[in-house]
Amino acid sequence: MIMITMNKIENNHRINNENYRHLFVIIESINNELIPASLEMLGEARRQMDHFNLKYKSNEKVIAIHLGHGIKDLSKDLISYGADAVIYADDPQLKYPINKIYTKIISQIVTDPLSLNEISPEYVSIFKKPRYMFFLADSIGRHLSSTVLAELDSGLASDINKLVISDLDIKHQHKTKGESIPYQKVLEMYRPDFSGFLWTTILCLDNKNPEIAKEFHPQACSIIPGAFQPCVKDTKRTGVISQFSPQFNEQDLKIKVLKQELVKNPVQFENYKIIVSFGRGIKEDPEANIKLVEKLAKILDAEIGISLPISKKIFHLSEKYDSIYITPNRVVGTSGRKVTPVIYIAIGISGATQHLDGMKDSDFIIAINPDENSPIKDVCDVFIKGRMEDVIPAIIEELSKRSGQLKEKEIQVNTYGKL
Amino acid sequence: LTLNIAVLVKLEPDFSEGSVSYNPDGTLNRAETKSKLGAHSAIASLAAFYTKVKYGGYISVSSMGPPMAEIALQEAQLICDADELHLYSDRLFASADTLATAEVLQQGIKKMNTGKEMDIVFSGHRASDGETGQTGPQTAWKLGFTFLGNVIDFSMDLNNKVIRAKRLVALPGFYDIVEEIQAPLPVFIAIDPLYKPIFDTISLRLTSSRYLKEAKERAENYKTYLKVLDHKKLDLDPRFVGLPGSPTIVHKVEKIPKARTTRTAELIEGYDREGIKNTITKILQLVQK
Repeated sequence: MIMITMNKIENNHRINNENYRHLFVIIESINNELIPASLEMLGEARRQMDHFNLKYKSNEKVIAIHLGHGIKDLSKDLISYGADAVIYADDPQLKYPINKIYTKIISQIVTDPLSLNEISPEYVSIFKKPRYMFFLADSIGRHLSSTVLAELDSGLASDINKLVISDLDIKHQHKTKGESIPYQKVLEMYRPDFSGFLWTTILCLDNKNPEIAKEFHPQACSIIPGAFQPCVKDTKRTGVISQFSPQFNEQDLKIKVLKQELVKNPVQFENYKIIVSFGRGIKEDPEANIKLVEKLAKILDAEIGISLPISKKIFHLSEKYDSIYITPNRVVGTSGRKVTPVIYIAIGISGATQHLDGMKDSDFIIAINPDENSPIKDVCDVFIKGRMEDVIPAIIEELSKRSGQLKEKEIQVNTYGKL
Repeated sequence: LTLNIAVLVKLEPDFSEGSVSYNPDGTLNRAETKSKLGAHSAIASLAAFYTKVKYGGYISVSSMGPPMAEIALQEAQLICDADELHLYSDRLFASADTLATAEVLQQGIKKMNTGKEMDIVFSGHRASDGETGQTGPQTAWKLGFTFLGNVIDFSMDLNNKVIRAKRLVALPGFYDIVEEIQAPLPVFIAIDPLYKPIFDTISLRLTSSRYLKEAKERAENYKTYLKVLDHKKLDLDPRFVGLPGSPTIVHKVEKIPKARTTRTAELIEGYDREGIKNTITKILQLVQK
């Protein structure tokens, strides 16, 4: 056993930086419609590689990988949105993104030098693996990125919202055995942490320490939907579109999607002119305060949002309030949903950047908060300084005097059907 | 046929008010924050319990973590009436990234229930501190098991060794998809936070209360069910676990710069009725526009 692992390490060591090329972007679509965040990811890939090629005087490509059935025609769009090349696999067995099947096919494509025949013939003889890979941090891409990188035996950072490619001197106990060693073309992957206040930079680095020498490529990440802008569509852009003919394993085809139903998210922020969100400021009496927010939202015909920390079920609530309000689909922010209502009312929310990025484009923003130094103050139009327990009843009282001017609406309960 | 069921759990910071402590800058104060069985791990344990009640089975719960992580195993045992508890604890495992963690977990799963192959492995949706959601699918891949994520409901056909699951696939800003999928065992399920088991027949309720009683007794003596395994007992090469086995490193941690000041707020004191009245007038004007 030890002998085998020794070989594994030596073989790995023999691969060098020349063997990794290009940025591969894993595109997602549903019912032959591209998921918009795929184009955002492609846009960022384009910008990164333009910069890369300029900086390193090279000609590495943005290659979009797209699997599905009846998706061939979307390839042109991917070129228009920034891809240099598209490799697609179009097959009835790929209609649904079944993790096991997609993982194997993506892994085959990105490790097969012949995939590059038409795209970059100069690298076919040396190509081993992608240099970089991007996935989407949604329910499909999050799992797909995990399994593909497990198959490729390399590192993965999740939920990234900023990327920088640079040359770094690294001094690390394990990676470099404590010595300072230069690494080229490192993808710095920035990830906001759960509090929303910290940015962690993740790097995927080869082990250059001889005792544990091992290459780790591609450098890969999953990207938060909404974090980047797509390129402007340019139908004049040209690129190589190449087809990959997948081979399936009989056993894998026993995994079958029986049914897929598109459902609208039960929380439809888009249908409301006003969104009222609450955060940790409800803490003095969480349930009573949620009831206050609920009452205000009813009078204003507003949908209710929450901040990210609230979604972690940090308060003890009755099952009813917990199941209606403490759900991920109410989270406003880059870790949840981006909203742009006419009026956004933030109650007891201090304003982590990831929350602000999700609501700061609202037309008019009101914050209710006892702390005048909260970051939320910098993005709002009206800051009502006070405890929500005092301010909301005052607003409700004043609103009820003008009740003729607003209509009430029932708040919908959020449930998905059982099997 | 008895199902071999595995559950992977994690000891996590307890984010509930009263247990959690934040630094003045809004970051988590890890030293002062208490730890407990993660919320998603608890749901995974519940799914395993339902499977045991409905179909019968032998449950092995495991966790990778420091010695104190055994309290997470105890909590999980109380929920699912676990038949055995495994703690993978070794200084060499510390600070592993998801790939190096998956390496330990998959090797541990192979040693569960005297080395029998598992039929179904449950994990949580993601950890509430790391939040990557990668460890589950990566462990599944290393095991060669079919991975089913975001599972909100499931049923099994034991004769044909097939599972049917309902998954909620959320695509932010686009659609949510409810998918029904069928797969041969073995499978690895990352259970969705929306999962809720229903014990709706008399027989399920009777079995459930019998197992819960047993679970309580077992959890009181959880140490008799507990095995602690280090890298040697797991036959793991130290070069492939922990920091040496992690492709990724945390390079730096910094405060996210404050968002640019985009507006100048009008400040209204909470007791200022006139100010509140004016704000309401503004709201009504904007809404009616």
